[in-house]
Amino acid sequence: MGKIKINIPRILITILVIFVSIQAYAANCPIKIGGLAPLSAPGSVTGGEAMREAMLLAERDINAKGGVLGCDIDVVITDTEGLPEKAAAMMQKLITQDGVVAVGGGYHSSVGVASKDVANSRGIPVVFAETWNDTITGDMQKYIFRIAPLSSWASGVIWKFAAQAPGVKSVVIVTENTDYGIPAAEECAKGLSSKGISSVTFGVDIGTQDFAGIVERVKAERPDYTIVLLTGEAGYNYTQQAADAGIGPQDIMFHANQAGLESKAWWENVPDGNLAFMARIGVPETMYNESALKLAADYKANTGKDGIESYALEAYDSIGVIAQAINEAGSTDGDAIVTALENISHDGVLGRIYFPYGSKKSPSEDGKGSEWWHQWPDPAITMVQYQKEGEPSNTMTIVYPEVYKTGDPIYVD
Amino acid sequence: MEYSAIFWWTALWLIFWGVVGSIFTRRVYLRKDLDTSNSILVGAMVGAAFGPIGLVPMWIKTPEISRKLILIPGFVALGIIMLAFALADPENNCVSNGSFVASQITNGLIIGIIYGLMALGLTLIFSILGIVSFSHGEFYMIGGMIVYYSTVVWFPGLHPVIGVLIACLLTFLLGAIFERLFLTPLYDGRIDRPVEYGILITFGLAFTLQYFVQAIGGSNPVKAKRFFDFPRIRLPDKEDPWLIKTSRGNMELFDTVSISNPRFVASVISILVLLGLLYFLYRTWTGKALRAVSQDRDAATIAGINPHHMNMLAFALGGMIAALSGATLVQAFSWLPQVGMIPAMRSFVIVVLGGLGSLPGAFIGGIIIGLVEAAGTGCVPDPQKASSYIPAYGMIVLTLMLLLRPTGLLGRRFASGTHGKL
Repeated sequence: MGKIKINIPRILITILVIFVSIQAYAANCPIKIGGLAPLSAPGSVTGGEAMREAMLLAERDINAKGGVLGCDIDVVITDTEGLPEKAAAMMQKLITQDGVVAVGGGYHSSVGVASKDVANSRGIPVVFAETWNDTITGDMQKYIFRIAPLSSWASGVIWKFAAQAPGVKSVVIVTENTDYGIPAAEECAKGLSSKGISSVTFGVDIGTQDFAGIVERVKAERPDYTIVLLTGEAGYNYTQQAADAGIGPQDIMFHANQAGLESKAWWENVPDGNLAFMARIGVPETMYNESALKLAADYKANTGKDGIESYALEAYDSIGVIAQAINEAGSTDGDAIVTALENISHDGVLGRIYFPYGSKKSPSEDGKGSEWWHQWPDPAITMVQYQKEGEPSNTMTIVYPEVYKTGDPIYVD
Repeated sequence: MEYSAIFWWTALWLIFWGVVGSIFTRRVYLRKDLDTSNSILVGAMVGAAFGPIGLVPMWIKTPEISRKLILIPGFVALGIIMLAFALADPENNCVSNGSFVASQITNGLIIGIIYGLMALGLTLIFSILGIVSFSHGEFYMIGGMIVYYSTVVWFPGLHPVIGVLIACLLTFLLGAIFERLFLTPLYDGRIDRPVEYGILITFGLAFTLQYFVQAIGGSNPVKAKRFFDFPRIRLPDKEDPWLIKTSRGNMELFDTVSISNPRFVASVISILVLLGLLYFLYRTWTGKALRAVSQDRDAATIAGINPHHMNMLAFALGGMIAALSGATLVQAFSWLPQVGMIPAMRSFVIVVLGGLGSLPGAFIGGIIIGLVEAAGTGCVPDPQKASSYIPAYGMIVLTLMLLLRPTGLLGRRFASGTHGKL
């Protein structure tokens, strides 16, 4: 047997090259993208859990297709608790400790309002998924984008539906004292007033449990229609306590908030919640595109739920849009991602996502307000109603607008 | 408010003479070498109720301070402010709508009873062990969770009352075990700073319980079914049921007061438990021993009571009472691992208001807070503010109480328990 000649310098160089390569790969891969979601009270945990699941499915699907820039992505999900101060701290943590290159998700408007300045000042692009407050994009910050509808726009659908309901002369609005609830209630009150309908607004802190006193006061107002703008379990608590007192969805016309779209939690927490109206973002399931159908199937299999909620669809797309923008930018540099986002055309589960207004074209050029900056203009909003006790949210009847309608609304006397 | 000036000038008048009375009455009593322990409170009440007409004769005669001397001017001052409110805002529901007022008072009383029960557990622990249990809210949460899991998840169909009993048993055991394992260093001299240790260790327990439940069951809100449905009653007759009318989830009395089923059931259970607790504390040897330790730990020891056993019993019983409050309310509110934070804070307010370590004080404090919150929510004219300030109403009452009577309603100047003995 011949003697094997060992070239020690060559081996050392080879090891060094491999080591440096691994280091270089480890430094850039996986590419980390942040995900904001309320996973503890007083935030809307139901919404947060749904968004987390959707963002993890986005991570899985993107990685299955080869990832981004040759790397897998890692969605780092962080709990905002629905609190602005926590959101700002978590955004700071995502950027400085976790090293994310962009951030998606976000449920509560107050989270968006508080965290956007942190991201913008550090040059990290954010695509907010479900934060409605107009000022989030209204400040026209370079790194801030949104695929959720504007509060003024979504509130418009809510009050217009209430205004066209039969015999509505007075409305009670029960809202939360947050960056979502206060402007949304003001928009509703203003819109109703323009139709000659009087309204009274009650504001409560996020996470309120006991509504007994407020329910009695609402009862004394003798409203024809109630609009509830409470997120999370506060929405459940108010609706069931109102139902116990005889002013729930089966007693007067009643708009409940989006948390009701998680039907399992809705029926468990609000057993008397039949006939409640809710606003839902996105087209009805019958009009889902192929990727939305696949996502819905995967989501149902993972969670055991009957359908996928609109905020889960938005969370999924917020990660998808960012991933495509990074690919098109060819780098993880914040400025390059912003440029890519401003030019993007992303076929998402919600439809084709694009941002017509930004540094290339100001919203004012089309006579629009600053809130349209980096704002996706096409999210569909429908009004849906539970019409059978215990029915899953994916079979809810779409009662408004006409273009998506699947049935007539049931109005209680 | 239509004539707001009437209300605000009256309030200003009451505050001015209340402050004058509280400052000078104490000085007058001090100068005459009389007992000044309640002089600030009496001075404030007499000043607010009668102004100089009441204060000057009192300063001249300096009568012995009695409960009557506090309560009568107190109610007169309350009456004056209510009258001013009625004149200032005659259209307010609290003035013009009798059924609304009755409903608010009923709701305030019902929730006050439940608050009082929860605070009772906290004050029991404080009076015996001399520590404030920061895990009280988590016992409340655990109580509700056990009822939910035992009746909906683990044994669907199990009657909720059995679930409540299971919750009581498990939380009693949890409290007893925790006390034996972690609180004994408080009284056997193993640590230098027992009060701080007590605070930190119960904080630790609170976080452990909260995150344990979150890890096991998730953070989604859950709710137990109604324990009982109301039977369908229409009295005195079906056509005109002005006396009582019930549906499954609601009861209406005299065509005016409506009470929701979960609250009614929770308050009835609370009252029954309270009666049982009073019997236990005042009629049984163990209960008397507990009270004896809370009053004078050394004397109780000399009388043959083992204070260490009473410590364990007090912590277990206090935790169980909090859990019981949660167990009865899990049918009324959506339940989360963080659900105990607000009730715990409210319990601290009630315990301080009622007097640290006072069992009747905790219960009365609970009812006062329930009524004040109901009054604030119902009567503040601006609906937005009325509902936004709910947590503040109790704090205003507490602040006033601490200013006028720092020991609380029925508190003692020196609490017993382990204070100063370690």
